[in-house]
Amino acid sequence: MDRPLQDTHAKLVARDIHRLTQSPTEANSFSLGCGALFSRVETVGTIVSRDMTPKFLKFEVDDGTGCVTCVLWLNQLTSSYFSRRDPSTILLLSSTARKQAAAVRIGAVARVRGRVGSYRGAMQITVTVVVVERDPNAEILHWLECVRLGRSCYRIQS
Amino acid sequence: MAHPQTKSAAAITLQELYPSSPFYKEAASIRVTGMLRGYSVETGIGVIEDGNKSLRIGTQHLKDLSLRVGSVYQFIGELHIEPNHEAILQARTGRNVDGIDMNLYRKTIGLLRQFLEAGNKKNVVNLD
Repeated sequence: MDRPLQDTHAKLVARDIHRLTQSPTEANSFSLGCGALFSRVETVGTIVSRDMTPKFLKFEVDDGTGCVTCVLWLNQLTSSYFSRRDPSTILLLSSTARKQAAAVRIGAVARVRGRVGSYRGAMQITVTVVVVERDPNAEILHWLECVRLGRSCYRIQS
Repeated sequence: MAHPQTKSAAAITLQELYPSSPFYKEAASIRVTGMLRGYSVETGIGVIEDGNKSLRIGTQHLKDLSLRVGSVYQFIGELHIEPNHEAILQARTGRNVDGIDMNLYRKTIGLLRQFLEAGNKKNVVNLD
């Protein structure tokens, strides 16, 4: 039976994010063929590219096992997607996204959380939160978490 | 159509950079960590070391990184093997990692590789 992990940000290395395939039974959920279903992921890695547009910031995170494209939307003030929300909430979301975008610079190590999805044949993350890590050991600890969870929880190798 | 993605840089230790190593290849994308032993402002070339191994780093493409001899840095870039068989990493990113636990870093690289290799084998079995 599939183990639902859609409501948590699964810690996966980039190699495994790129191996995710669409679940045949659950919309917006992805599988590694190990029983677990994923829709949200967390990655930590070095920002190696940055492409700013008026609507979104696209950047790539390299965690040593692969590069993952991340998209941080910046169109909260103009998109109809947010039109039903309270105006003060929209302003807050927009301000937060722009602050996060400003912190994304090439060479920094970032922790990215968001929804995983497929765009033009490649997996990418639609960013919910991105923070720049100041702890020089953050990436090491993330790798260790990915290995531990991959073996014991997600059963990537079982 | 898949997006062209930046080549991922494998995390390695300087001890793994020797001529017969699989990482010791022209244009290999790697991530190295070590203490900055020296740096020339004129050439933009620095030297990092870890234990008894060292590597030259070309920092010409790094705009916002201030380098301080004695601090520990992590660089991502492409390896260039010169005609005299000496290697230099042309860095595209760099960051100060003073405070990094190098022993934990080395051990974790090994664990991560085992995890990735086991996953690759499983994938091959599934495809069969």
